[in-house]
Amino acid sequence: MARAASTRRKAATTLIAWTVGLLIFFPIFWTVLTSFKPEAQAIAMPPRLWNFDWTLENYTAVQERSNYFRHFWNSVIISVGSTLIGLIIAIPAAWSMAFVPGRGTRNILMWMLSTKMLPAVGVLVPIYLLARDTGLLDSRILLVGVLTMINLPIIVWMLYTYFREIPGEILEAARMDGATLRSEILYVLTPMAVPGIASTLLLNVILAWNEAFWTLNLTAARSAPLTAFIASYSSPEGLFYAKLSAASTMAIAPILILGWFSQKQLVRGLTFGAVK
Amino acid sequence: MNRTMRALLGATALCAAGGIASAQENVTLTIATVNNGDMIRMQGLTQDFTAQHPNITLEWVTLEENVLRQRVTTDIATQGGQYDILTIGNYEVPIWAAQNWLVPLNDMPESFEPDDLLEPVADALSVDGTLYASPFYAESAMVMYRTDLAEAASVTIPDSPTWTDIRTAAEAMTDQANGVYGICLRGKAGWGENMAFLTAMANSYGARWFDMEWNPQFDSPEWTEAATDYVDMMTQFGPPGASNNGFNENLSLFQQGQCGIWIDATVAASFVTNPTDSTVADSVGFAQFPNKEGVDNHGNWLWTWSLAIPASSQNQDAAKEFIAWATSRGYSELVAQEQGWAAAPPGTRRSLYDSAEYQEAAPFAAMTLTAIESANTSQSSVQETPYSGGQFVAIPEFQGIGTAVGQQFSAALAGQGDVQQALNNAQQLTQREISRAGYPK
Amino acid sequence: MSTKASRTAARLMISPAVLLLLGWMIVPLAMTLYFSFLRYNLLMPGMESWAGFENYRYFFTDPAFWPAMRNTLVLVGGVLMITTIGGILVALLLDQPFWGQNIVRLLVLAPFFVMPTVSALVWKNMFMNPVNGIFAYLARVLGLQPYDFLTQAPLASIIGIVSWQWLPFASLILLTALQSLNSEQMEAAEMDGAGPLSRFWFITLPHLARAITVVILIQTIFLLSIFAEILVTTNGGPGTASTNLTFLVYMQSLLQFDVGLGSAGGVVAIILANIVAIFLMRMIGKNLDA
Repeated sequence: MARAASTRRKAATTLIAWTVGLLIFFPIFWTVLTSFKPEAQAIAMPPRLWNFDWTLENYTAVQERSNYFRHFWNSVIISVGSTLIGLIIAIPAAWSMAFVPGRGTRNILMWMLSTKMLPAVGVLVPIYLLARDTGLLDSRILLVGVLTMINLPIIVWMLYTYFREIPGEILEAARMDGATLRSEILYVLTPMAVPGIASTLLLNVILAWNEAFWTLNLTAARSAPLTAFIASYSSPEGLFYAKLSAASTMAIAPILILGWFSQKQLVRGLTFGAVK
Repeated sequence: MNRTMRALLGATALCAAGGIASAQENVTLTIATVNNGDMIRMQGLTQDFTAQHPNITLEWVTLEENVLRQRVTTDIATQGGQYDILTIGNYEVPIWAAQNWLVPLNDMPESFEPDDLLEPVADALSVDGTLYASPFYAESAMVMYRTDLAEAASVTIPDSPTWTDIRTAAEAMTDQANGVYGICLRGKAGWGENMAFLTAMANSYGARWFDMEWNPQFDSPEWTEAATDYVDMMTQFGPPGASNNGFNENLSLFQQGQCGIWIDATVAASFVTNPTDSTVADSVGFAQFPNKEGVDNHGNWLWTWSLAIPASSQNQDAAKEFIAWATSRGYSELVAQEQGWAAAPPGTRRSLYDSAEYQEAAPFAAMTLTAIESANTSQSSVQETPYSGGQFVAIPEFQGIGTAVGQQFSAALAGQGDVQQALNNAQQLTQREISRAGYPK
Repeated sequence: MSTKASRTAARLMISPAVLLLLGWMIVPLAMTLYFSFLRYNLLMPGMESWAGFENYRYFFTDPAFWPAMRNTLVLVGGVLMITTIGGILVALLLDQPFWGQNIVRLLVLAPFFVMPTVSALVWKNMFMNPVNGIFAYLARVLGLQPYDFLTQAPLASIIGIVSWQWLPFASLILLTALQSLNSEQMEAAEMDGAGPLSRFWFITLPHLARAITVVILIQTIFLLSIFAEILVTTNGGPGTASTNLTFLVYMQSLLQFDVGLGSAGGVVAIILANIVAIFLMRMIGKNLDA
């Protein structure tokens, strides 16, 4: 009796959960689907869910027009590079905040977070002038640097909250055994924090991948990532839904697949200290 | 590392270049362009150019219009030097040329034939008789309408209609139950969107932006009348969501058969008559931009996407070669040969309009030429003006002012507040900005 | 507990991050501050001159200033409300046993990976367009007049789009927190005859407090500077109905390249952001302390 009731309940939950999940996912599904339609059918009313002529012409057109792989590669370098450098700078900082907290620790942390609120549009001109004078315009180095700075506060914070959950006694014990500070961080702390670091890394790669203001404004031909690739497909003259969809699919697919595959790692550390 | 090397090389080249043409050196041209159909086509045809100039490599930066404008303006104003060729409009050219930011296009290769350019277009890209950019394509504005709907509603649109004609026809063609809207006009806020149209429309009502002392004129009866008619027509016979419709949105509406009349840029003509994209390709009629009875002015809309070389470019000779190729008569012939005459970039050269093949392939050719030739950008209103420019005011502050004013009219169109309120706000904010900028200068 | 030596080491180790961020903050900030007192338009080089507080005066008296302030708050508040409440509901749902949990979780997570520009373009063109959009089609199927989202309710539409992007983030954090809830406590409460609602109210919600704090804090940081979504969909209009502070600064600085005015706006935006940050800390920061 109870089992039947719980099965029925499970079935009902399944139905609701799937409905919610599919509704949330629908815009992405629709974009991918539209990317396989001929332009005229992409805009047709009523919308065509299956009765259209499947085609790859949009992908071919996009590939002919732009160097997708170069944009893709730039995106990879910029997002992964900025995240790795960010981690290297942030791990020691987060360590000292978590294990040797001073009076100002929380204020420093909050101040760091507040730098993220710096409105990009207001400081574009100063940054552009600096980049010009250092000869770094349209270089991946510049973008890696800028995105490192933009995401650093988030990285520090995530690591800090993660490190704080690690009991200090373990480090004390390592210290008793004569471990130096360096080996303490490298061999004791870091391995314990791997899930937190992994999730920090993933989240920041995603954020850097999708950053669309600096990556668009500081690049031209050589270092432009996928955000610039999208900007060449949004609202041109004439019908564009299908080609836009194809370009969008190509821009989000890599990060979506990465996110899906590493979902467990991403979620495990994505607590910001919210879970005790 | 690489980057530093390149910068060093660049600097050396700059020092050494002097007057020596380095035609055989390998150069890379970075070209910033807008993602419009004609430019995309050009990108596809560049093999022809690189075959003739094996030492030149082309790098394309294709961006959506607003992003492009923001990118190239930042770059040229800060002398960033990231591009060798810019795609800009006749709004930018005179302003930038006056700052010596552009390379004058004299001593171009012979194939360039500057005398073949249509006069109003060349004028719009010249300062004191010197050409600073070469037109890739050019447009004025005209009326496009559905001949089948007009016939069914038994209205006729004359070749040179008045706004009353347009209104009558729009009313007769409207059939909202079947998703047919009598008139589609730009409503999306932006100096190059709704304000381009509204400024041209106001011109044809005899209005102007500023009087000779740079006082804004939104309180004038001409502006009031133009804006009132615009909002009236659009709310009664226009499509839903018109305040978000720009050129593109209206183009798709028209191609889908949902507009009776569409008044917009002449380049649209080749899109709406192209049977692969347009469901109404066979039944499109053309007419001149309307005017108000008794006002001899057809809006004076003139826009040209053109190629220019920033003074900061280090490959100016190669850039000239490319511009000569891309905007020459030969390029039109290449397009014609590859994709048919109707696809040739319109509005720039007399030879194109003299060609019998083009006239036959493009039923809109004659009307486009009339529209462009009648556009007078140095005197856009029947009243005296302190500024030049047709559907815009050619001062650097106009992008900001025009967009802010555009938001006001787009709000009125969306039903937030009435026309009078929009005009009052427009008057105030224009006054504010223009006096901040220090006009009259 | 900590020795003097480790304190010094700690200072040393925190300093790269602090110095870099300080540099990143101060150099552009100093330039911005300096520019904000200049009459400086990029399009008119050589005309720079000292302007005093004129730029600030212009910025504050801009008729769009107060609407922009209001819109910024409504935008942030609206998205926070939807994503927090929606996030709790989705998290509660995903916490139940059902078939295909993993797949549904992937579906819910997906919008977080989509670039803001792409999501704005997709929503605007393929969903909210009053003629060709899916919503318009659905309305017509139901015999209704298509609703013109971006004109009639521009700010609400943008809130909707942004909420769609951030709902997965909120749901996931809340779900992780939910899963750490002690089930014995729950069962005990059930034994005592507490109904599902009161269990939620007295046990689940307090347990989620920290997670909610985190969601609010992080999202606020990102939401204050929403820009791409507005640029793509409404251009801040109609009128100023969807202009937020970032967009106002954009209109003034990048559109007319008035660096002086834009910088003044930037400085104001930074100050406001910091006020919000302090406010947030005061209000909810205590939740974050152990």
